[in-house]
Amino acid sequence: MAEPLQELGDHIAQATGDAVMAVYVRLGELMLDARPDGLVALITFLRDDPRCLFKQLVDVCGVDWPEREKRFDVVYNLLSLKNNQRVRIKVATDESTPVPSVASVFSSAGWFEREAYDLYGVWFADHPDLRRILTDYGFEGHPLRKDFPLTGFVELRWDDVQKRVVYEPVKLTQEFRRFDFLSPWEGAHQVLPGDEKAPAAAQEKGKTS
Amino acid sequence: MPDVEIKTLTMNFGPQHPAAHGVLRLVVEMDGEIVERCDPHIGLLHRGTEKLIEYKSYLQAVPYFDRLDYVSPMSQEHAYALAVEKLLGITVPERGQYIRVLFAEITRILNHLLNVTTFAMDTGALTPPLWGFEQRELLMEYYEGVSGSRMHAAYFRPGGVHQDLPDGMLDSMDGWIKQFYPFMKDIEKLLNDNRIFRQRTVDIGVVGPQQALDWGFSGPLIRASGIPWDLRKSQPYDVYDRMDFDIPVGKSGDCFARYLVRIEEMYQSARIMEQCVAALRTVTGQVRVDDRKISPPRRGEMKGSMEALIHHFKLYTEGYKVPAGETYTAVEAPKGEFAVYLVSDGTNKPYRCKIRAPGFPHLQALDMMTRGHQLADMSANIGSLDIVFGEIDR
Amino acid sequence: MGVITPAKPDPVTEAALSRALNDELADKGFVVAQLDKLITWARTGSMWGLTFGLACCGVEMIHCWMSRYDLDRFGFAPMPSPRSADVMIVAGTLTNKMAPALRKVYDQMAEPRYVISMGSCANGGGYYHYSYSVVRGCDRIIPVDVYVPGCPPTAEALLYGVLQLQKKVRRTGTLVR
Repeated sequence: MAEPLQELGDHIAQATGDAVMAVYVRLGELMLDARPDGLVALITFLRDDPRCLFKQLVDVCGVDWPEREKRFDVVYNLLSLKNNQRVRIKVATDESTPVPSVASVFSSAGWFEREAYDLYGVWFADHPDLRRILTDYGFEGHPLRKDFPLTGFVELRWDDVQKRVVYEPVKLTQEFRRFDFLSPWEGAHQVLPGDEKAPAAAQEKGKTS
Repeated sequence: MPDVEIKTLTMNFGPQHPAAHGVLRLVVEMDGEIVERCDPHIGLLHRGTEKLIEYKSYLQAVPYFDRLDYVSPMSQEHAYALAVEKLLGITVPERGQYIRVLFAEITRILNHLLNVTTFAMDTGALTPPLWGFEQRELLMEYYEGVSGSRMHAAYFRPGGVHQDLPDGMLDSMDGWIKQFYPFMKDIEKLLNDNRIFRQRTVDIGVVGPQQALDWGFSGPLIRASGIPWDLRKSQPYDVYDRMDFDIPVGKSGDCFARYLVRIEEMYQSARIMEQCVAALRTVTGQVRVDDRKISPPRRGEMKGSMEALIHHFKLYTEGYKVPAGETYTAVEAPKGEFAVYLVSDGTNKPYRCKIRAPGFPHLQALDMMTRGHQLADMSANIGSLDIVFGEIDR
Repeated sequence: MGVITPAKPDPVTEAALSRALNDELADKGFVVAQLDKLITWARTGSMWGLTFGLACCGVEMIHCWMSRYDLDRFGFAPMPSPRSADVMIVAGTLTNKMAPALRKVYDQMAEPRYVISMGSCANGGGYYHYSYSVVRGCDRIIPVDVYVPGCPPTAEALLYGVLQLQKKVRRTGTLVR
């Protein structure tokens, strides 16, 4: 099951030169890590190459990994109807480096990239119409980033004096109750407060006993 | 003759409009009655679902999916449940899979009934909605019987379905299916050969196969344009590979073809329902996976056994931890390819859950489809695209 | 068989009522009634509802108007235009982007106008209360008369809400609202 996928991945990596940095096959899905500058050529190759024929771009989205330097992952999912295959391409970028837009290759990319720009702040070069699509008209910030709070910064109400809607800082009547029930026994690797000396103590005990 | 400067008229269509199918704001540039360009403004129902999901456990995130495409709630749950099960590496027992397919097809009929009848209402036919919604009410009785809620069921959960069917539901479904075929014939008699309906839908919004592929169409829209692609046949999930059904494929790619494809899909869904009901009479067993680390114990068991109580407590507070990984899982939702791109970092909350709604690329193509048409065709096009803003805006 | 038949009018009181009315008309040529009651009877008997379906509650609202829970028989006709509507049913989640449009539509309605807030999202933000782009209740934007709880409220619940609004109108009925 993974064999033909791996072969396909290797074929793509070879044919596109250094645009593809890595090829993975996990859970029966083929993933490619790509370089931003070779992206358009890679996508065009995937669309036109007779072994690939990924004729549909089904999704473009962003993922935020704030600990990394290139914090955003722009993920492209493609579908080949003829070969009944899917492939995923990931491009890493940060807040100020634009990613070339694939709207010239696939028309469906237009709005998907607008959404990635709106929700993450990923810039796309050569996009025909890059503006906010989902959030409010004068919205500031990029909501799906991990450092953007869930409730946002402003909220709305109608002011009868000014006869218009006004934006005010958020005031919640009940705090969002975040229950972090991740248990300290199975699999969790965070250090509990007060437990910082525990590994050192365990080591010492191991030495003395 | 001096040069006359012609300026296009920019008109605002919506967000509150009876034919806008929810909150759609279209800024339409028109030359007289002909549409030159239309720019859909979406986001008027953007509720921040994806951000909210990142703060909830996997089980708590299930009801968000119901509220995405609210006319076909269970198909979204289906995609999410399949995605989480793929990451967990579990398989649902056979009875659970049959129930899922049964309710997925009920959902498909629910969706197409609403779409076809309100599409007819947009073009002026007021009787089909009245008839169609009574059928929807009967189907929603099944939703209620099995989950307690008429619309937002939270029934498909990762691991299977929440609980088994109540007694008597299978017989009731048999009766429903029998009366469904004559009902569909009635609807077809009203609309198929209706001169007004045909004039408003034939050759309107024609989309060729190459265009359909380029703009990311899926579902009935791509089938109406001539491409036989259905995820239930090509990448089957649950027990679809054992079901015997056909896929209607259209030829002309116009609104009428899309309408006909949906009508025929309803017949095929009823056919699948018959097979599922027959199978559910013989297939017994659990409806959700037996692993107590994933699916909670029954309440009676929980009140008796200490282990069951602990499992119940852990599952409803912390939830199960999903191994790190990512998956893109798609289902053939009634509107097209609904997919969930789930990234897990090994904890009990999803790290990123991107929802790929079929309506998003379809609405993008509205501009392409309506160029050169008249304003009245705009509502016909929107209706045949099957747009629901819950999933587009999320 | 699943068809809701209206309660049979009591023949005794019906006859008495029509006899009294006919007698009065024959005697004096006119009928006297309380102005308040007359006005509220007219208002509640034909409240046209603005279909402001935003999200999932909109589907239940449509169900309320269709064959099973027919709202039309209460005189509650669907009216897409705010200029001729009496009641606005806010059905669904109100987002920040949509709020100015909601207020604009409300302002376009003529007095006396009433608002039914349907569903928990319209009541107080509901399931999306903590989101960054949701207005926590449509009563931050417009004044609300009846709140119908539920997610979504069943069509029957919305029907009950409409009847409650009629009761409220009868109770607080004045010429100037």
